[in-house]
Amino acid sequence: MTADTTMNAEPAPRRGNSREATRAQGVKRFKWTVLTPLMALMIFILLPAFLLQGYFSFFSFSIFDAGDDPSFLSYFRASTWVGLDLWADAFSDDKFGYAIIRSLLFSTGVTTGCFLLGFGLALLMYRPFRGQGVYYIFFILPMLTVPIVIAYTGEMILYQNGPLNDIIGMVTGTRSEVQFLYNQQAALTTIGLLEIWNWTPFSFIIMMAGLAALPKEPQEAAQILGASRWRIFWEVQLPLLRPVILLALILRFLESMAEFPKTWGLLQGGPGSATETIPVYIFINAWQFFDLSYGAVLSYLVLFMMVAIVMSAIWLLRREKKSLDEMYQASPEES
Amino acid sequence: MFKTIKLSEITRREALKSGAAAAAMGVATPMMAGQAFAGAEEDRIVAAAKKAVPNGQDLTGIMWGLYSSGAKPVMDEFGDLTGISITKLQDISAFDIPQRAMAEALSKSPEFDFFHVDTNMIPSLASAGLLEPLDDYMAAADFKINAVGDFGKFLTYKGKTYGITTDGNVHVQFVRKDLFENPDERKAFADKHGRELTWPETWEEDLEIMKFFHRPDQDLWGSANLRDRGSSVAWWYMYLHSAGGFPFTDDMDPNIDNEIGEYAFQTYLDVKQVSHPEAAGWGTPQMIPRIINGQAYSCQYWDGVAALAENPKKSKTAGKWLFGPVPGSKKSGKLLKRSVSTPNVGILVNRHSPRKEAMAYMAMYLGTGANSARIVGDPVNTFHDPWHVDHFKPGSLAEKVYTPGGMDAIKKNLQIVTPPIFLTGLLEFETELKRNLSEMYAGDKTAKQAASDTSEAWGRAIRRIGKRRLKEELATYKSLFPSVDVPS
Amino acid sequence: MAMTKSQRRTAYAAMRYFLLTIWLLIVAFPIFWMVSTSFKPDREWFAWPPVYISENATLQNYLAVWADVEGHSVDEQTGEIKTYAQSLQRPWVALGNSALISFIATTLSVLFGSVLAYGVSRYQILSEGRMFQLLMLRMVPPIVLVAPISIWYSALGLLDTVTGLVILYFLTTLPYAVWMSKSFIDEVPREMEQAAEILGASRWRTIWEVVLPLVRSGLVATFLFILILTWSEYLLALLLSKAQVVTLPVELSKYQGSTEGRVYGRQAALSVGITLPLIVVGLIIRKHLARGFSFGMVRR
Repeated sequence: MTADTTMNAEPAPRRGNSREATRAQGVKRFKWTVLTPLMALMIFILLPAFLLQGYFSFFSFSIFDAGDDPSFLSYFRASTWVGLDLWADAFSDDKFGYAIIRSLLFSTGVTTGCFLLGFGLALLMYRPFRGQGVYYIFFILPMLTVPIVIAYTGEMILYQNGPLNDIIGMVTGTRSEVQFLYNQQAALTTIGLLEIWNWTPFSFIIMMAGLAALPKEPQEAAQILGASRWRIFWEVQLPLLRPVILLALILRFLESMAEFPKTWGLLQGGPGSATETIPVYIFINAWQFFDLSYGAVLSYLVLFMMVAIVMSAIWLLRREKKSLDEMYQASPEES
Repeated sequence: MFKTIKLSEITRREALKSGAAAAAMGVATPMMAGQAFAGAEEDRIVAAAKKAVPNGQDLTGIMWGLYSSGAKPVMDEFGDLTGISITKLQDISAFDIPQRAMAEALSKSPEFDFFHVDTNMIPSLASAGLLEPLDDYMAAADFKINAVGDFGKFLTYKGKTYGITTDGNVHVQFVRKDLFENPDERKAFADKHGRELTWPETWEEDLEIMKFFHRPDQDLWGSANLRDRGSSVAWWYMYLHSAGGFPFTDDMDPNIDNEIGEYAFQTYLDVKQVSHPEAAGWGTPQMIPRIINGQAYSCQYWDGVAALAENPKKSKTAGKWLFGPVPGSKKSGKLLKRSVSTPNVGILVNRHSPRKEAMAYMAMYLGTGANSARIVGDPVNTFHDPWHVDHFKPGSLAEKVYTPGGMDAIKKNLQIVTPPIFLTGLLEFETELKRNLSEMYAGDKTAKQAASDTSEAWGRAIRRIGKRRLKEELATYKSLFPSVDVPS
Repeated sequence: MAMTKSQRRTAYAAMRYFLLTIWLLIVAFPIFWMVSTSFKPDREWFAWPPVYISENATLQNYLAVWADVEGHSVDEQTGEIKTYAQSLQRPWVALGNSALISFIATTLSVLFGSVLAYGVSRYQILSEGRMFQLLMLRMVPPIVLVAPISIWYSALGLLDTVTGLVILYFLTTLPYAVWMSKSFIDEVPREMEQAAEILGASRWRTIWEVVLPLVRSGLVATFLFILILTWSEYLLALLLSKAQVVTLPVELSKYQGSTEGRVYGRQAALSVGITLPLIVVGLIIRKHLARGFSFGMVRR
């Protein structure tokens, strides 16, 4: 960031202020050329949707009152003012509460799983060895597999008379009859395992990049001082990796909060309500009951929650990034 | 390019063009035995369609592939005759179509011309402004839905007709003849229970008999009733209705958090004793093989499976079945039997489509006596079940496929057929019900809890959908219920 | 008995191969199963014990799904009827749609994202705070806005259009595009641009001809990552498309009904077709992947 300011402030010796002014104007023009289309999309696409959502959360819209008039205004005619009623409903809705808890548990488990596996693999992999390339190719494959494909392939593998039970049976020597999907206690975990399978490569690649970029000098210095490998890992490598670890955790957590294709494709929220996560619960309300207004209230609550989570994540990330920037500024060794 | 034309298609086309020759060919080809080539009904529709849409039109709609395979020849034929053809189908699972149709109602899109969907969705979809009433088009072609009993009413809502059915779908009692009529078994049963082994008249008798024949060690299960989340709600309706129950009070409050409601849930749960332990995870693809491979003693099941189970090419149990009316209940003080029709699938026309008129005639063409006979009589696709009066005439194509015993049972059950919740908001009511049934079946709830939880959820749904609207619909809903207690 | 250093090294290497191979098997098995099932005849889909590699391998599933060769057949063992009617919405159309939508959206996202990233890196056209706020576009689950968007799209005539999906895919992937490409552009020394500028090149020419070529490798990695996200997107495609713009993931979900639909072989044959393009692209550009994905959180 400092480089930019020095560059911008670089005085042009002969033409002086006028050149600087032209330059600033050019930057401004460039800025708006780039930002205008983006802002246009946000203002014309996202903002109206956002406002509509807000409208529906106070005016109860019923699809059954909308009639057959295809005009846009009919959506407003089919809505009646209910004030905060729906918000009050949402706060007393147990199922919504459980959906939030389920989603948080799911995302926490998935994030931890992806990270531990991804980091573990990256630690085993980041130094060159024979066959590294082959392993690398295989390890990124799950990320290249479409989630809905994983859902259906998962079902083929996990159903009770499927290959996984057969393999477990072969290993343990008994007939295994685990109901991975249709057992209320197991279902969410099963979806979580599929999600971990799917996205471990993401954490793996981030951690590979992080490990590969570690400066060698501190490690070498520590080695010369006779530190054990374990201590080098804990006291030298890990602190340097903190920002990247945080990033891997945060992105994975937020992405898995939105997981829908596998959960819906496989179990539609069942068995019972065992896999009713936030996206599934909103989907059921908005796209099965077509109660858009209640869906809007739930969406807003989820939005607030996510914004709070993202804000704290951003605060953490910025803090880490700042200390990283400061560290490199203190010892400039840019490649 | 080389195009293969099937001989059967040529003959059919030729047949339709000329009257006398057609009759001769109709006799000559076994496929055509069920067709009435006088074709007055069909001719009227074709003429009306040509008059209304002289240049033909290309249509598109949402239909499940397995259903379309039975109906496609008839659709193609109408295209040849009028230029009104279905050129594009959105092929999605029958269970997903209600949701997709509602999404169309939300966006009010003219894109699809028809939805081949469970006709129990008519109240919801009509309320949402998606459906075109067909009465005027039907009058123009002098076409009537000629269904057995009151079954035609299932296509109406507040006095208007909104769909043409292609599929009758009623639950029929299936019993394994070889076991039921086996003298040794009959004696053993009489010795054990102190009564003759007779056709089950009540759910309690049915359970007792199923328990008797429940022999897991021989890979024979007492019941093949579905208990999964997708479709098992059909059984619950039979239990409730036969006990004299109705899901709502006249004031449109939930009417199941009571003795009768609990009875329906408990009866549903009791069958667990004679079901395969995995039944909760099984839909038709897992259950039907059990039925036709002889691993189940009895069930109430969709009538289409009768055709499959009696087809020696597909079934190990061909010739080993008895079909009859479903059991009932004496809970209301008298014996009451109630079967159920869900999903009863039909063609519903999109009101927003500019091609709706052409689509209405196409739908009618599928619903004539002769054409529907070809659809339900398809020996390979048993997804369309008989419903038209003509299907039940002796010697009909349907009779060949469904066997006379099967047809008799279907007819009897159609006399006592009931609808699922025929109200706006069906999806919401059923989703809550299914959730509670599945939680109860998994052991998380008692029948009493399930009844009271469902009742509470329904109360919320009623508030959201609007009590007044629903109250107005109650009359239509109630008018679909049969007047006889037991079939004759 | 203490191990010597070389023994320790051998032991470590052996353990590494062992652990990595276990994970390799876990990774490979589902993909193997998908491919294997796609060649199985009907009766082996549900067989017990499961059939791992079919001795009666058949192309029937591929023909049925991709070549529209259909017919009535009845499974002798289970009695299931396998009839696949001609549905005119063929997977090839869906493949075309998927390819079109994801390539347009991904290209737009990466190009626009990298230009924006350049602006941020060099001229701070977005403050750091705004850059983090941009992440919101991605981090708020799409289910939260999809219902009002469908109504708004319906009013705009964007429902069931390529444009409609491209806009949303563009917006939801842009944060990744900006963040990833910024981390690469930050690494490019400024001297080259300054030289180009002194030679009189316009800012746009400098970006196109100097900066972006220097970060090509990183942009390729970004492209693949965003392609993965757009190619596999399910929820928006499901709810905002109707008859015209059906994408492959939505097409696949049609082969699965909640109760009746388990046609494993067909699903697998279609799944292979969905997965293959991404894997091919991924393998082609694998060497670029290794450096991606650090989002500026590490310094080289």
